[in-house]
Amino acid sequence: MLQWRDRSPQHWHEVVNHEVCVTNRDQQRFEGRVFTVDPVSASVVLVSVQENERPSVTVILGHAVTDVQILRRGTEETERQMKSVFLPDRAQILSA
Amino acid sequence: VSWRSSLPPSERPGERRTAEMKKLYGKDAAMIQGMEAAMQLTFDRNCDKKQPKYWPVIPLNL
Amino acid sequence: SPRFIALCCSSSSSSDEEEQRLRSELRQRFLWTLSVMRDKLVQFDMHERVRVRARFGASDIDVLRFQVSDLETPLGVQREALLRCQDVLSCSFEL
Repeated sequence: MLQWRDRSPQHWHEVVNHEVCVTNRDQQRFEGRVFTVDPVSASVVLVSVQENERPSVTVILGHAVTDVQILRRGTEETERQMKSVFLPDRAQILSA
Repeated sequence: VSWRSSLPPSERPGERRTAEMKKLYGKDAAMIQGMEAAMQLTFDRNCDKKQPKYWPVIPLNL
Repeated sequence: SPRFIALCCSSSSSSDEEEQRLRSELRQRFLWTLSVMRDKLVQFDMHERVRVRARFGASDIDVLRFQVSDLETPLGVQREALLRCQDVLSCSFEL
């Protein structure tokens, strides 16, 4: 089976905007919405927005990722929300 | 005549990098290359100025 | 597998362009993430259950090293430091 690092941009792009659970080599789990996967290092960037808390960002380094499971699929609305917390000034630039 | 002109085109490191970027990113290659250059410049400049030492001294992940 | 054959044999330029477009979007978003991290207080989870905090400076473009300041190590604060990305499992910060 292909390692996470050796996947294609198509495969990585398929998890963007969805809520996922990322498992790493130490069996730690991280949940959040995928903002991006770096095509160079395969690192996963998760954004998590919880009530009464400031939005937080977690980067799981690609070499440590063993599994990524989609928990809940995102919508256009979640994509818009994520961009508004993460790149308020640049939303229009990256909305390809 | 500059020293560069004696090299065959494929041996110029800048051009090789540009060709690689083109293959990876297509029409966005120049923009990505510019963003990366800016980031690497910040990294290099900070390292020159601050002289950071590796922590931990010995890699954890041997 | 059929998927592997499909990947290998699809040499049409349109699929190349599609792959380039996706790679470009993913990379731009990652570079943006690194630029947002700058000057933020970031927690690093490293191998062997080492957890440290530092102010993020910059990453090199290949994501091999992070340059940080005011690294809170178990043995005190190191003013300027380089972390090896191979030592780091994850890092997190608040927006």
